Amino acid sequence: MLKMEHLRKNYGTFLLDCSLEILPGRITGLIGQNGAGKSTTFKAALGLITPDSGNICILGKNIQDLGAKEKQDLGVVLSDSGFSGYLTIKDIIPVLDSLYEKFDKAFFQDQIRKFGLPDNKKIKEFSTGMKAKLKVIVAVSHNARLLILDEPTAGLDVVARDELLEMLRDFMEKDEDRAILISSHISGDLETLCDDVYMIHEGKIILHEETDVLLSDYALLKADERQYVAMDKQYILRTKKESFGFSCLTNQKQYYMENYPKLAIEKGTIDGVITMMIRGDMV
Amino acid sequence: MKGLLIKDMKLMKNMKNSLLMILIIAVGMSYYMKDLSFIIVYLALLGATFTSSTLSYDEFDKGYTFLFSLPVTKKEYVIEKYGLGLIMSGGGWLLGTVLATVAGLIRNNGFAMDNIMVGITLLPIPMILLSILLPFHLKFGGEKGRIVMISVVGVLIVVGVIGGKLVEGMHLNIDALLENLSALSMGPMAAGGIGISLILLILSCRISISIVNKWEF
Repeated sequence: MLKMEHLRKNYGTFLLDCSLEILPGRITGLIGQNGAGKSTTFKAALGLITPDSGNICILGKNIQDLGAKEKQDLGVVLSDSGFSGYLTIKDIIPVLDSLYEKFDKAFFQDQIRKFGLPDNKKIKEFSTGMKAKLKVIVAVSHNARLLILDEPTAGLDVVARDELLEMLRDFMEKDEDRAILISSHISGDLETLCDDVYMIHEGKIILHEETDVLLSDYALLKADERQYVAMDKQYILRTKKESFGFSCLTNQKQYYMENYPKLAIEKGTIDGVITMMIRGDMV
Repeated sequence: MKGLLIKDMKLMKNMKNSLLMILIIAVGMSYYMKDLSFIIVYLALLGATFTSSTLSYDEFDKGYTFLFSLPVTKKEYVIEKYGLGLIMSGGGWLLGTVLATVAGLIRNNGFAMDNIMVGITLLPIPMILLSILLPFHLKFGGEKGRIVMISVVGVLIVVGVIGGKLVEGMHLNIDALLENLSALSMGPMAAGGIGISLILLILSCRISISIVNKWEF
């Protein structure tokens, strides 16, 4: 669905150098700190910026050949941009109907009602949460094959977030060839939704892992000085000096559980793993 | 393309009070003003500037980034703006011509063919304004675009004044030249004017496409 190979974009003080692949039937997460390069990656995937080098292939086409026809198959949410705030939902319905050949007006209106969005109020008067809901509803209402969602749950409360994630799961269930690339600063969203996760830091992908593997095999080992010295470090990805000794990130939890039963072991989480990958030292 | 046009029409709903005010002023002018051609130019030029306002709406809050993630190419976007410009300034021109004709009809108690001819002769003016306004706005944005355009028009006026002085210095008879021109039939003159402004509009559209093609978001 989407393949980026050594995509490079230089902004002087910031260099994006990214490779990733989104496969059909999968939800892929992109996680990283603010300014890590997530939005730049999304913009590159949509042809909104011109890369300095590298290849981007989207929906079987080279990014240079991404035209209006191909964009029919894309559903997009951008974190900092959307329909003009001077329009109302009533205004955008005929716009979407004309732009998208497969716009499902009945579904769109159903979702608007379900989420309680006012259709006669200007979008600029919407709350952050209402705007976020509208963006996602727009993205899923025209039978897209690939959703590219940059922070779609930003500003939403827990219940609304859950409803939106459910909408994304429903979207995937309707067609097994669909795919989603999603970024979120709320790692809990990605843990429950994504099949695999890319972690990006300072413009580079620092980790790509299946979410199940990350949650089952990754762990944080808490070791004092003596335990740390004695420990086999061949499966340690990162270490970090702490007041009690060392925190160590491993992708072989089972190995350490069996061989070092006295070690305090914390189950892997996306937050824990990314923090260690960024702040920890390589062994 | 149709979707973009609908979007712009919906955005222009926000300007309906200004549009109504302009219409009231135009009707008032048609009653009081001697030179009815001013109403035609006034309405046509305002139509062109309203098109430019839709660019400002698109520009606001990084709107372009989202707009170009929709099934819209940069070329289509530019062509739609020129199309909208023609609709708006053409609409303004038509309304102005109708108003001027009706006003002429009431005043002269007869059919005011002169006003229709004046309207046709003035048609190139909004087209020329559109040709200048849109590329400047697209290149420099709303605020800067206006400053650059005013500066360019200022420079053109200065060049015109200097040119006029030079012609005077060369002892050419401008009045005789203008008289000769008006001796030509009005029809071919208007057709020529419209033809030249159409070429200018197409050229301007091409320049705008190349400007927008360089946009990054």
